[in-house]
Amino acid sequence: MNGFRRFLQRLGRSVRARTAFALKLAALTFAVLRDAPMPGMWRRTARSEFHRSLRQSVGGAVGTIVVTAVLIGVAMIAQGLYWLTTAGQQSLVGTVLVTVLVRELAPLLVGVILLGRSGTVALSEFGTMRSNGEEHVMESLGLDPYQLLLLPRAVAYALASFTLGMVFVIVAIITGHLLGSLAGYERDTALGLLSRVLSAMAWQDFAVFPTKLLLIGILVAASSYLTGFGARRTGDVTQLLPLGFVRAITAILICSLMLSLVA
Amino acid sequence: MADNLPILDLQEAEMEPSPGEHAERPMTLRLMPGDFALIESRDTARSTGFADLCTGMADLVSGSVGFLGQDWARLGYQETAMQRGRIGRVFANANWIHLLGIDDNILLPQRHHTNRPDSTLRDEAATLSMAFGLPGLPMGRPRDLSPADLARAACVRAFLGRPALLVLEHPLHTRFRDMMPALLNALAAARDRGAAAIWLTGSDAVWRDRSLPTTHRLRLTAAGLAQASLPSRIKAA
Repeated sequence: MNGFRRFLQRLGRSVRARTAFALKLAALTFAVLRDAPMPGMWRRTARSEFHRSLRQSVGGAVGTIVVTAVLIGVAMIAQGLYWLTTAGQQSLVGTVLVTVLVRELAPLLVGVILLGRSGTVALSEFGTMRSNGEEHVMESLGLDPYQLLLLPRAVAYALASFTLGMVFVIVAIITGHLLGSLAGYERDTALGLLSRVLSAMAWQDFAVFPTKLLLIGILVAASSYLTGFGARRTGDVTQLLPLGFVRAITAILICSLMLSLVA
Repeated sequence: MADNLPILDLQEAEMEPSPGEHAERPMTLRLMPGDFALIESRDTARSTGFADLCTGMADLVSGSVGFLGQDWARLGYQETAMQRGRIGRVFANANWIHLLGIDDNILLPQRHHTNRPDSTLRDEAATLSMAFGLPGLPMGRPRDLSPADLARAACVRAFLGRPALLVLEHPLHTRFRDMMPALLNALAAARDRGAAAIWLTGSDAVWRDRSLPTTHRLRLTAAGLAQASLPSRIKAA
């Protein structure tokens, strides 16, 4: 009986912790969406942090994004163009690229790369601040860690995510087109292929693509913030990284899935 | 600042004890503009707890803590942050945000709470830095500075701007006694402007220094905050 009770306790504790994290993440995301347009939240200290984070997140990830996009262009788009042309279904190229690349793959891969390049750095910084008691220093000086650290980073990551997503899609399509043209099975121009992709996009795609990317950027920042500042003061920061990575990946996947279902 | 308004007003303030710790006794202290309280405290954790109490960082079981006529407990989140921007504090332990350079650390509270131009702040910080014995506004990461320079930089941050209240937790290590004249000059200037100051010290040398222009001498122990005075004569060893 005691064993069963202990099992229930463990199960309940785990469910409560995960539910609490999900609720806090949702609350922080909502807070960022609410506060980001408010000029009063953007003092010069927050603006400085925003510029620093934007440079770091875009500059740090753009190379990886381009390389990944080229690989996807070669492995997926060129292949797709080849098989659709072989099957005489060139008219479906735009629809396939929109459904697979624009709606699903691009936001997911950009989210993972943003998490790896910027989210883990932020998580490590927040965890170190927590273990050093620096949040206490900040609060004692009247500096709100949310306003000074999370809000600027969340907005920077959201903009970086959207920018990187656009770069990813364009580079992937151009690479696939180049390869298809060289191999001789793609006769359209690059602009023509981009135009076919745009034509295949419904209004939902124009809404879902940026919404996914912007939300994923915010989720990466908010998840890192919650994991870093939610850690025990005496905890080892390196142990936070796998936990933060799993949490953020789960959040990215759920966000992507939910928006796909809504659209 | 109105002269008749207390800068800090602790009225039977009793802190909520941390888990596993005994409750502190209720504390009463009123500091008017220009007051200087020297508090002997051997325990840095207790000093930090008291500094937290004064700056509205501690939860109270009973009593009240007022700062510039406003009860910390009644202030909203943003107002609390704004009021804390009027306090200059030196921390006993963690003083720095490791993400930032030491210059940004020093300027951060003023850049956040005021609209004063960066150039003016940098000039003022550089002047204060030199007064505290630094060659200028220190640069680089906090880990790159020696403990003595970090202690000086902590004082520069605390005195920068026009703080209404100074809370100095063990600002002088015995090794850094050469900082004393600069610290006393800065304290005198701040008090002349109407600020009040609290200096928590565990150092006998500081505590027994009769030249310090204190208005209150207190002792912070497990029994609470009590008035204390120096014996009329201290026998030479």
